[in-house]
Amino acid sequence: MKKKKYVKPVLIAVVIIAAATCLYAYKEFNRKNKSLHDLKAVAAMQPAEILSQFANNEKAATARFAGKALVISGKVKSVDKDDRGFYTIALGDDQSMSSVRCSLDSTESLLAASGLTASYVSIKGICTGYAADELGVGADVILNRCVFEPAK
Amino acid sequence: MTMKKVFFVLAVCVTVTAAYGQDKQFTKTGKINFDATVPKSPENIDAVNKSVVCVLDTKTGAMQFVVMMKGFEFDRALMMEHFNENYVESSKFPKADFKGAIVNNAAVKYTADAVYPVKVKGKLTLHGETRDVEAEGKITVKAGKVNAVAEFEILFKDFKIEIPELVADKVSQKAKIKVDCSLDPLKQ
Repeated sequence: MKKKKYVKPVLIAVVIIAAATCLYAYKEFNRKNKSLHDLKAVAAMQPAEILSQFANNEKAATARFAGKALVISGKVKSVDKDDRGFYTIALGDDQSMSSVRCSLDSTESLLAASGLTASYVSIKGICTGYAADELGVGADVILNRCVFEPAK
Repeated sequence: MTMKKVFFVLAVCVTVTAAYGQDKQFTKTGKINFDATVPKSPENIDAVNKSVVCVLDTKTGAMQFVVMMKGFEFDRALMMEHFNENYVESSKFPKADFKGAIVNNAAVKYTADAVYPVKVKGKLTLHGETRDVEAEGKITVKAGKVNAVAEFEILFKDFKIEIPELVADKVSQKAKIKVDCSLDPLKQ
C-alpha cells in the first residue's frame, strides 16, 4: 500500500524531468551564436598592437585570443563587399599590407555601406586567428561576426 | 631626340613593371563552403568561411590558399563548437592550407574574357595531415577581373578526423569543399 502511494508522485517527477531534459536538448541543439553586442571582449587594442602580438609569438597569441571577442580600434583601410553583400573592413596602417580584417555580421552591413574608408572606428569581433605573411600579401588578424562599437 | 628616347624607355619600364605586377592575383576575402550533410538527412551540416587568403600566379599557375578553421560559420552554435573542439580540433590546428597549381594553366588566357575549365592539383594540409588533392574548377576572366572556383571532396579519415558512429546518420564521412575566390592584381 505504501509503495502505491509513492508511485504516482515519482512518475510525475520522472515525466517532468524527462520533459525538461528534452526541452533543454532541443534548445541546446538549436542554439544560435550569441550576438557580439552581448559578448564581453577579452581585450581592446589597436591594429598595430594585435598584429605585433601575433608576429612576436603566434602560438601564445593564438592561445590567448583565438575564439574570443576582441575590440579593435583603428583607421579603416578598405571596405570590401562580396557578391552576397557581406562586408569586410580592413583596419590598420595604409603603408602596410598587414591589417586586422573584420568580416561584418550581416546586421551591420547597412552601416558599412555609408562610406567608411579613412574613418576611425571601433569594431568588436571573434578572433579566428592569424594569417602570417606566407604568401607575400601581408599578415592579417582575422575577426568574424563583427559589430561596430562606440568609438573609443 | 634624347628626351624622347628617355621618355620612351621610361614608358616601357613602367609598362613592363605594371605587366609584371599583374602576374600575381590575390584575395583575402575568398570563400570556402564546406558540406558534410548525409544524403537525404533533414539536417544540414554545412558552413562557410569568408576570409580565405588566396594567391594565384597567372604565369605559372601556382595557387595557394590559407584558411582559419575557427572562421567557419555554422548556423547552429552547438554544431560549430563540435566542429572546432571535437572534429578539426582548431585550437591545435588553427589553419588549413593548400599548395598546388593549375595543371592546364597554359590554356588560360588571363587577358581574354572567357570561362576556362581547369584542373588543380596540389597538397591540402588539414588537421595536421597533408594529402594530395585534385579538383575540377574554372577560371572566369571578365572585364579584367579573375574569378577562380574549384570543387573537390575529402575523406575525413584521410586527415585523421574522427566522425563517431553515433552521428554517422547525420555527419557524412566525407565533405564537399567548394573554393570561390574573386581575385585582384597584387601590386608589388
